[in-house]
Amino acid sequence: MADEAEHEAGSMAPLEEWTPYILGIFCNWCSYAGADGAGTSRMQRPASLRIVRVMCSGRVEPEMIFRALKNGADGVIVSTCHAGDCHYVVGNYKTFRKAPIISKFLEQMGVNPKRFRLTNVSASEGAELTEIVTEFVEELREIGPSPFKNMNSPAEE
Amino acid sequence: MTDSSKIVRDYDLFLGCVGPNRFPQIEAATMLVFEKLGINLHDMNGASCCPAPGVFRSFDIPTWLALAARNISISEQDQRDVAVICNGCFGTLLEANNIMKTEPGKRDATNKTLAKVNREFKGTAKVRHIIDILYNDIGVPAIADMVTNPLRGIKVGVHYGCHLLKPTGIRPWGKDERPKFFDELVEATGADSVEYKDKYMCCGAGGGVRTAVKDISLDFTREKLQNMKDAGVDCLVDCCPFCHLQFDLGQVEIKQIFNVEFNIPVIYYTQLLGLAWGLNPYDLGLLPTADKPAGTPPYVPTQPFMNKVLANMSESPVTEVETA
Amino acid sequence: MSEEIQKASEPTAVNITGLEEPKVGVYLCHCGVNIAGVISMDELEAYTKTIPGVVKVTQYKFMCSDTGQNLIKDDIKKGEVNRVIVAACSPRMHEPTFRKCLRSVGMNQFLFEQANIREHNTWVHMRQPEKALEVAKDIVRIAVAKARNLEPLDVMTVKVKPVALVIGAGVAGINVAKDLANQNFQVHLVEKTPTIGGHMAQLDKTFPTMDCSACIITPEMSNIGQHPKINTINYAEVTDISGYVGNFHVTINKKPHYVDQSLCNSCGGCVDVCPVITENEFDEGMKDRKAIYIPFPQAIPNKYTIDMDHCIQCGLCKDVCEPHAINFDDKPKKIELDVGTIVVATGFDPYDPTDYKPYGFGRFENVITGLQMERELSSFGPTTGKPVRPSDNKAPHSIAFIQCVGSRNCQVGMHPYCSRVCCMYAMKQARQYKEKHPESDVTIFYMDIRAFGKGYEEFYEIAAREYGINFIRGRASEIYENPENKNIVIRAEDTLLKRPVELEFEMVVLSVGLEPRKDMQTISRMVGVAQTGDGFLMEAHPKLRPVDTLSDGVFIAGAVQGPKDIPDAVAQAKGAASAAASLMARGEVEIEPYFSKINEAMCSKCLSCIDLCPYGAISFDKYEDVVRINEVLCKGCGTCAAACPCGAISQNHFREKQIFAMLDTAIPVTANGKI
Repeated sequence: MADEAEHEAGSMAPLEEWTPYILGIFCNWCSYAGADGAGTSRMQRPASLRIVRVMCSGRVEPEMIFRALKNGADGVIVSTCHAGDCHYVVGNYKTFRKAPIISKFLEQMGVNPKRFRLTNVSASEGAELTEIVTEFVEELREIGPSPFKNMNSPAEE
Repeated sequence: MTDSSKIVRDYDLFLGCVGPNRFPQIEAATMLVFEKLGINLHDMNGASCCPAPGVFRSFDIPTWLALAARNISISEQDQRDVAVICNGCFGTLLEANNIMKTEPGKRDATNKTLAKVNREFKGTAKVRHIIDILYNDIGVPAIADMVTNPLRGIKVGVHYGCHLLKPTGIRPWGKDERPKFFDELVEATGADSVEYKDKYMCCGAGGGVRTAVKDISLDFTREKLQNMKDAGVDCLVDCCPFCHLQFDLGQVEIKQIFNVEFNIPVIYYTQLLGLAWGLNPYDLGLLPTADKPAGTPPYVPTQPFMNKVLANMSESPVTEVETA
Repeated sequence: MSEEIQKASEPTAVNITGLEEPKVGVYLCHCGVNIAGVISMDELEAYTKTIPGVVKVTQYKFMCSDTGQNLIKDDIKKGEVNRVIVAACSPRMHEPTFRKCLRSVGMNQFLFEQANIREHNTWVHMRQPEKALEVAKDIVRIAVAKARNLEPLDVMTVKVKPVALVIGAGVAGINVAKDLANQNFQVHLVEKTPTIGGHMAQLDKTFPTMDCSACIITPEMSNIGQHPKINTINYAEVTDISGYVGNFHVTINKKPHYVDQSLCNSCGGCVDVCPVITENEFDEGMKDRKAIYIPFPQAIPNKYTIDMDHCIQCGLCKDVCEPHAINFDDKPKKIELDVGTIVVATGFDPYDPTDYKPYGFGRFENVITGLQMERELSSFGPTTGKPVRPSDNKAPHSIAFIQCVGSRNCQVGMHPYCSRVCCMYAMKQARQYKEKHPESDVTIFYMDIRAFGKGYEEFYEIAAREYGINFIRGRASEIYENPENKNIVIRAEDTLLKRPVELEFEMVVLSVGLEPRKDMQTISRMVGVAQTGDGFLMEAHPKLRPVDTLSDGVFIAGAVQGPKDIPDAVAQAKGAASAAASLMARGEVEIEPYFSKINEAMCSKCLSCIDLCPYGAISFDKYEDVVRINEVLCKGCGTCAAACPCGAISQNHFREKQIFAMLDTAIPVTANGKI
């Protein structure tokens, strides 16, 4: 059902050429370093991900994800350290707890919950990150572009 | 061992090629053994060659995958898992099933091919070797419990084969480089599994070797048989009709090429098990009837083996077995 | 409590309060061809000029260079910009560089933001120039949104205690302790086993000099024991570390020796009467020891310990102990220390080849590991320096070494990396055996001979030419035992002669590799240092910062960072000591002020933030009826800020306003909805 609602909003880009816009919120210690590592090793991926840095994924509020989606991001990915390895001990556990609620809320609001992903990437896992992004891009290509693209101009404060 | 209430009781039996074409006693013995276990092995309508994991897979992987997926799809339609009696079929069907289930690109391409014959691979079936079912589902203690005629004093050279074991990743045996599960199954019958040099070596048949360079393949076989003879075996037990062919008919060929005789009878596991469970040795194919045509298996006579089995059995009087 | 640190090199300081209209200057770095080689810098510049808030856009080849930095400095001094963005590499690379640049002309360093268009864009989208350009535009636009909302912040300085904790007293740990103590810093050296020395004490000779290992390390060990600034805590484990750089609080569990270390005079009378025989770990299981023991004769401290896992408390030792040192009621002691820096030097474990069945270790008597061979060659080892084969205790006439056991192997339980030392130690042991038995046949089965260090290649040449050691290039595929004489037959391929070989030897030595310790995960979590994919601890940068870690104040040295030989372990130890010393010598360190603050007016005192903080930085003052965050304890994770239902908590430099501004400008929406 959510898919239908989204597809009705329409997308004019031919799906094969279209690269989804993925907004990433990455923690500074593991995930951001992992993304840097992917860059240093020149691991190529679809040109899809833009990363916003926070010190810990615990800083991530659900509203950030909703805001990004509402502004037209096709997908949002929050990346944390692996369980037990959080630089701030337990910040990532808080994010693990928030994730299912965020997915449920998206579903209830008629947004495909697959547009939000929670992942763990450690500082040495540049390759895993590349795989995750590539997979996410393929999934988003199947789901289609964000239904919010034509709806409103970006919120301004 | 699986809880007896959870044991799957119905399988589609995938026969392969060598079994039904060359050694029908393997199918016969297997059916009898599974009947006693209360597991039904159903016929698969329209099953073809698996296709062979060595030759076919080396030539063209999409074709290999399509034919294997087609076979599995028959089983899916019957809503049953596949049981195989051959290591080669196991290698092909298990690995093809895994590829189709885990690689969506290959799966979609293969399903496009299958659509041309109105078939579709859905990924709902499992592929299991009967050794897997016997060891992991039934379990050695339960099998040993059903033994009425323990094969005391019989020394067995157990041959695992290759595709049964490798690659270990998706096989149900753990990661042991020197597994013991088949030995345990054999010893459940009361027989002794004898250690011999290079036990895990290939029989020589697979990978197109028997087809392309038969005398080299028989050199492998000869070495294995020699090692078994040095260890003093009374018979060889395997779980693959192709290995069975290589060892059985192979001994005749070895006599011709190398002028060496081993006279080691070649027995499929369910034949051995059926014997220990008190089933009729004629039905199991362990004794030839008087009207057995020439050039049909078993090529190495099993009579001496049967004599020894009887001689060792403490309950029955020592008598010669008459050919009926 | 904190002072603003401004080192204005110009007499006039640029005073920015954060209330002015933001004037953002964007500096686009080409980074040579790393960025400019993929995207069109001119197009990026043209686009950047259109972003609201941007007043100046400049391109340059290398912004981090002096010339590049001067471009920024000039614009600041002229008052043209009051927020700076550099679009270049990762902030983890050069954020400190550019912050210093701002500081040097008197601008608050937190008015800087770096847009990562290299690691996160051009390096991973190398063959998609147009799409990479779009991503670059987005990244720059996001950075501008944050920059417009940045506020000046005061940096915090904390004092660094001139006390260091060194975990592990192997050759690396010993050298760290020595170098730090010689600079007059107090060092606490914690060692898990009853003696210092580590694996190096187990070695007989060291390549390439063939120095006797004990001879070179025991003087160091006794120096450590006597040095006034080194407090050696042996038979102890670190159980908890809390705090932050300069101020770590460490909890140590000192295990009970059951022998009073100050009374024991090492007479050894107890050993003679002890009835319990158990495996000697120091001799790799090749010799036994009693339940009361000294690990090896030159152990420091040279006092006895009772292994309570095997002791039956019969009391016979107590009866004969003249100084009355035996005490079965000994209890573990908890020691708490406050230190400024920590160096982790916990070392490695040798790979255990038992699970790799084809090589028969554990099944065939005459297959031993390299470390066991080392003990056999050692004059105070199980065979007093005369290697024999286990099955008949006779010196073997032929020995084979198999290389790359547990290393360079992708099978389960093994490691894909090269362990670096095995080629050298096998050749060393081969030479040593040949010296004792010149007529013997010694063969090394190898894949490659890695003789990379100073004097190593020459060592190899001599081993091959002068000692007559055979080298067969081929990985051994299988080993089996000849049941009659317990000889070992190796099957391998001689790849240079292109034929299979099957050779019989009286003894086989498996050159096992180095792997991370079994408790590495515990260590990693305790010290807050991540593990790399191979399981060893992660350095801050593999090339430029091999002994630093991403946790400030924690350093690593030796095999804990990766397999290495003794010269490299010592070099790293000296490097780590130097890094730790520079922190402690400065006496203070700057901390990023990313702490969170509570707006009292908006706080409803629900108190849900208090339990969320892992550092206990938030507290509720009942008397003043206010919730407070301790700025020093707060480490800046932002969890409380995210969780506060009233939005009363905001985190410096990651305010909601700043993040939302980024999210709002992140996605470009053009007229027809296309990106």
